[in-house]
Amino acid sequence: MGSILDILSNIFLMIGIFFVFLGMLGLLRLPDIFNRLHATTKIGTIGAFGVMIAIVLKVGFTPMGIKAITVGLFLLLTAPVAAHMIARAAHRHGVGLCKESIIDEYGKTYK
Amino acid sequence: MKRYFFYSITLGFAWCFVHGVINLNNFLIGMLLGPIIIRPFKTFYNFDEQLSYTNTIRRIPKQIKFLSILLIEIIKASVFVAKIILRPNLDLKPGIIAVPIRAKTDAGITAIANTITLTPGTLTIDVSDDKSTLYVHAIDLSDPKAVSESIRDDLEEYVLEAFE
Repeated sequence: MGSILDILSNIFLMIGIFFVFLGMLGLLRLPDIFNRLHATTKIGTIGAFGVMIAIVLKVGFTPMGIKAITVGLFLLLTAPVAAHMIARAAHRHGVGLCKESIIDEYGKTYK
Repeated sequence: MKRYFFYSITLGFAWCFVHGVINLNNFLIGMLLGPIIIRPFKTFYNFDEQLSYTNTIRRIPKQIKFLSILLIEIIKASVFVAKIILRPNLDLKPGIIAVPIRAKTDAGITAIANTITLTPGTLTIDVSDDKSTLYVHAIDLSDPKAVSESIRDDLEEYVLEAFE
């Protein structure tokens, strides 16, 4: 194992963890459920992806590395679907948008 | 039958990746297990439609290009949302807009909905019953026209190329 790969792996790990931290911060700071989903889906995906890249750089294309790639790709595919289902269910159960919202073209379509 | 075969090959590769060791044995096991997995989910796919191998294989390079663009967009999106979160004064103008789409097939609509969710400041909430409109939540909607135009012109072109 080259030490350059180790350093790169650590850098990616730091980036990933930093983005996960930002995602959690967004979950606390943003006003309503839809804005919070922005933080958790996008930033959560890239954070987890960074950690997975770090694992691949550390262990190479061993079974563990290949599993890390698979987990990253599955996250990429499933995070948007989960966000869509959460947002849709929340909206239909009457969870309103925050006060700052300026327009809601979805609300009148299913009532 | 053709579809069973094609999905089985895909699932064979998936089995290899989940198992962690890519070799012929694992691939064949995955391929043989494939039909058992496909059977219960058959109703979700349009099995009557004819599938041609050449057409499916021809689109693979475009799909790889689409995936690379998606990765770049995700990084941009994360930085965009991170900047908003780190602003000392959250001055948001969120809202939900209806965006008309041109994609017709289920795969195309799924692809564009997922892409919208993973790109800067937008999140797909639902698709209308006639599959012609997506309802998109945007975190910064000071200019609704620009948001829907950037979806139609930038993202949808690649999706149409790759999946239609």
